[in-house]
Amino acid sequence: MPKRVIATVRRMVSRKRAIVVLFVGFAMGVIGLSLFGTSMIFTGTEQFCANNCHEMADNNTIEYRDTIHDKNRTGVRAICSDCHVPHSPVPMYIAKMGALNDLWSHHVTHSVDTKDKFNAARPEMARNVWTYMKGNDSRECRHCHDEAKMDPSKQSPVAVARHEKGRKEHMTCVDCHFGIAHTVPDGPGPQEIEVDKSLIPRSAIF
Amino acid sequence: MLKVDEKSSSWRSRPGTIGILILGLLLGVVFFGSVGGFMVHANSEKFCATACHEMGELSLEHKGTIHDTNRSGVRATCPDCHVPHGYIPNYLAKFALFNDYWGHFVTHSIDTKEKFEAKRSELAQKVWRYMKSNDSRECRACHTVTKMDPDRQSEKAKARHAKLITDPSITCVDCHFAIAHTEPDGPGPQELTAK
Repeated sequence: MPKRVIATVRRMVSRKRAIVVLFVGFAMGVIGLSLFGTSMIFTGTEQFCANNCHEMADNNTIEYRDTIHDKNRTGVRAICSDCHVPHSPVPMYIAKMGALNDLWSHHVTHSVDTKDKFNAARPEMARNVWTYMKGNDSRECRHCHDEAKMDPSKQSPVAVARHEKGRKEHMTCVDCHFGIAHTVPDGPGPQEIEVDKSLIPRSAIF
Repeated sequence: MLKVDEKSSSWRSRPGTIGILILGLLLGVVFFGSVGGFMVHANSEKFCATACHEMGELSLEHKGTIHDTNRSGVRATCPDCHVPHGYIPNYLAKFALFNDYWGHFVTHSIDTKEKFEAKRSELAQKVWRYMKSNDSRECRACHTVTKMDPDRQSEKAKARHAKLITDPSITCVDCHFAIAHTEPDGPGPQELTAK
């Protein structure tokens, strides 16, 4: 059987090499793209994000446990990547490139490898995340939370009033909803950060 | 074996081989990207709810239910409940689209409100049987039982959910049915056996 297969392939190669080469290229394209896509999915799982380095496992993951995005009435959750990785292709690829920075500090500079170092760097890191979220109008929040589909009659009177005010003053989600999944650092909060929103594109693909 | 080696070396010396390889590579990427793109497009609320008037009617029932509008604005649209999330089951479900085409273009089996209502019970039973057969897999893609906080649930919900621990044969859809569409006459999910 294998011999016959080899012979067949050999015959095809000798007679229709162009088609065989085309097909090999086609298969490589399909396999390559699917591996790429699978790696994108794999590096966005809770399993990968939460456990892969002790910096994430010892700090961010533990802080996140039992917050409203981990555990709630309905069991509908938001994991690391839902808030911290963009959902449309191009910003996602750019964000995945940002992981090189994590690798660098984990293996080379060891900048946040102890709890003390992590807490010392916390205000700066939080500020980076808040600046990014403010710059794209809390795009990752809005991927799950559809403002137009919120039912005010199911929200508390305080929430309804605040949301009304927030819309009027052109505020964004993270201006108020910060420190909801991680420890709040000392220093200025998101509302004190000035962001030039025009710098960060936010269409469907970019 | 030697022969093959000779062949492959003459292969490489032949001009244009790399070009054809790259062409095939591009075709493969475009083809696979298109399949993936179609899967994403065919899973959008816009596609499901507006592509045919039969579904348009169904999507109207979904409007205003808890999976459409709620406190936090986190929604479940058509595919979240009705299209499997794993690769293979997803592809299989997409093939069932042919049945929809057949009904839409050939048999016109549910193209009026009366015809639809006459078949509602049968259609609902099909969906319930499917959901029962996979232990409400699509519900569980969003709702993680172990991450539900009983302290935030009503006393009644807590008690009912606790009852399930003693009877694992009951699944989500046994109780949570007709939550996004009109409830038909006839037997409910608890009266049905999984297919």
